[in-house]
Amino acid sequence: MKKFGVIFQYEIMNYIKNKSFMISTIVIAVLAAVILFLPSIFDMSGILGTNKDDTDDTSSDNAAITDVIAIYDEKDIFAETGIVEGVFTDVKIENVSSRDALVKKVEDDENVIAGFVVKNATEFEYVVNNSDMYDDMSARFTSAMQLLGQYNYCKEHNLDLAEIENAFNPVISSETTVLGKDMMSNYWYCYALIIIVFMVIILYGVMVATSVTQEKSNRTIELLVTSADTNSLFFGKVLAGTSAALIQVGIIFAVVLGSYKINRVSWGGIFDKILNIPADVLVTFAFFGLGGLLFYEFIYGAMGALVSKTEDINKSAGSVQFVIMIVYFIGIFQLNNIDGVLMKVLSFLPISSYSAMFARVALGSVSFVEIAVSYVILIASIIAVGILGSKIYRMGTLRYGNPITLRNAFKNLKHE
Amino acid sequence: MKLEVKNLTKSFGEKEVLHGISFNVEGGKALGLLGRNGAGKTTTIRIIMDVFHANSGEVILDGMKFNPKEHLIGYLPEERGLYPKKKVSEQLIYLGRLRGLSKAEAKKNTDKWLKRLQVSQYTDAKLETLSKGNQQKVQLASTLVCEPEIVILDEPFSGLDPVNSKILQDVVTGLIEEGRIVIFSSHQMSYVEEFCEDIAIINNGEIALSGNLADIKAEYGKNQLIISAVGMDAEELSEKLKTMCADTLSVTGTHKDGVIVKNIHELSRNELIKAVMNADIEISSFDSYRPSLNDIFVKAVGGDR
Repeated sequence: MKKFGVIFQYEIMNYIKNKSFMISTIVIAVLAAVILFLPSIFDMSGILGTNKDDTDDTSSDNAAITDVIAIYDEKDIFAETGIVEGVFTDVKIENVSSRDALVKKVEDDENVIAGFVVKNATEFEYVVNNSDMYDDMSARFTSAMQLLGQYNYCKEHNLDLAEIENAFNPVISSETTVLGKDMMSNYWYCYALIIIVFMVIILYGVMVATSVTQEKSNRTIELLVTSADTNSLFFGKVLAGTSAALIQVGIIFAVVLGSYKINRVSWGGIFDKILNIPADVLVTFAFFGLGGLLFYEFIYGAMGALVSKTEDINKSAGSVQFVIMIVYFIGIFQLNNIDGVLMKVLSFLPISSYSAMFARVALGSVSFVEIAVSYVILIASIIAVGILGSKIYRMGTLRYGNPITLRNAFKNLKHE
Repeated sequence: MKLEVKNLTKSFGEKEVLHGISFNVEGGKALGLLGRNGAGKTTTIRIIMDVFHANSGEVILDGMKFNPKEHLIGYLPEERGLYPKKKVSEQLIYLGRLRGLSKAEAKKNTDKWLKRLQVSQYTDAKLETLSKGNQQKVQLASTLVCEPEIVILDEPFSGLDPVNSKILQDVVTGLIEEGRIVIFSSHQMSYVEEFCEDIAIINNGEIALSGNLADIKAEYGKNQLIISAVGMDAEELSEKLKTMCADTLSVTGTHKDGVIVKNIHELSRNELIKAVMNADIEISSFDSYRPSLNDIFVKAVGGDR
């Protein structure tokens, strides 16, 4: 145990003293904090679409509007109705005298974002430079044309448009009470956390495997295994890698979530779906994420012991990487079917429970007993792969040269 | 302290590479473990160090089963290995602590051995920036940093120039004088002759010869003489002795200093000299033959070196 402490301390200091570890942690944390504090330091309400003072000063709003739409109304059918202005409250309306003038305006004037050529009461042409994916101008102008038709009909038949509007489209008020999980609000941070744990497992897994392989490639392994038992060496190495991951991710998480919490009002809550994570979900993520990380780090450590050159790590760890990728994609694609059979099965398998059970807790219906059973399976699997990994590490000692296949490794273990 | 290696056998797959290796070594003495490449020296050492498990046989220290992790062992493996990108002192302290020293002790011993091996100026340098010879000395410091009771050195002189070899010789002599057990594997017979009171020659996984080096030398030189003649090289002298003195001497070998002969009838030296002179050979030197370890080794393993 004393030697485990020495190994753990040496290995974790290797990570912490590593310049790229230090720099990446500090740079990401500081950058995130700076970005998240920006709205509290500078007025970014224009960019964020929020209003700090929350006033209804329409005259100043109008002054701030710079976008313009040009309209060429061939038959003056919108004249003095105020309908277009009523529908397009967020832009200025500018009437032009010909189609050519309209096209020229759209092309040359950077404030003119679009133009409409109104041919008659049922036909118009939409002119725009570049139409983006979410362009709704044409749909909005169609609404304006339909409203004009209703307006003209009521006028001809001496009817009250407002009265008809109220009768056909009464104002309905509603309230939603979510008794279980609100998938709409939980989905995005669940998605983000699955990506984060996936990235951390791959990144630190490769680091642990590299650290094991390097000791074979520089031949330090013989000195180490004659100085300490292999369980201490292997567990010390893997747990140090896992702790380094926790330190780095923990610092970045704390800075990002803390900074957002402090500046949430300034941001107008626009990142609530990703960064305003409930405590129970965070705790579940921490437990299952840590379990999944440990499970795979032990496997990566064992894979590192099967090769003696760092460039061969991908040969031995490729299959593990493949399993992690499959679990990741299934997890992501099944978020919309969280209570389906596939997610239920995955939430009990140690290879996938780190993301599947966590997602079920965040988005679906899951009992405490199910969570406990899944976690016990995960812990038991971690201990099993830890012991097996340690045996593979011992077996791989002094076996230099070509990578040892997993099949041969098990055969040798059986033989020993 | 007495370390006993008893009847070790070891197989890799179907092939048995050690067929019952046995030898003893006591504190204050050094054992020279000799053998050709692939004879089984390193495998034997690795079994002692518990890197490999023997198929049968045992290693005993003072009558108890030997577990290297329960004792302070200084092990210099054949395949040298340290962390190239780490500072010299950092890794020596780590290895010292792994062998059970406190941080303060490990630091003190690190300073002591780096100074003794004359590489203290590299304490804070990264290992990869040192020359091969200095890296070898750092490796030796890592072996001795725990102040071991038992020192196992596998080819310690490889990669060292004569000046550094002398420093290492002094260190090894010191270790023996301090009463530690030293097991010394090397191809360089001159060093083994210098340090080792006992030797064990391994050939094809078996002990070909073992025991006290002085006794072995006396046994191998028993009743043998070395003769050289004026105006004749060893080959010519050998041929002449074979034809003219076959009834009194038998030629057993040639040497750069002369011809080695066996006194067949255990005649007196005067009678032998007379017999040689009667063969019209002008004697240049006539002495008892004292075989070198190299000669003994070649004879024991039955091959050319």
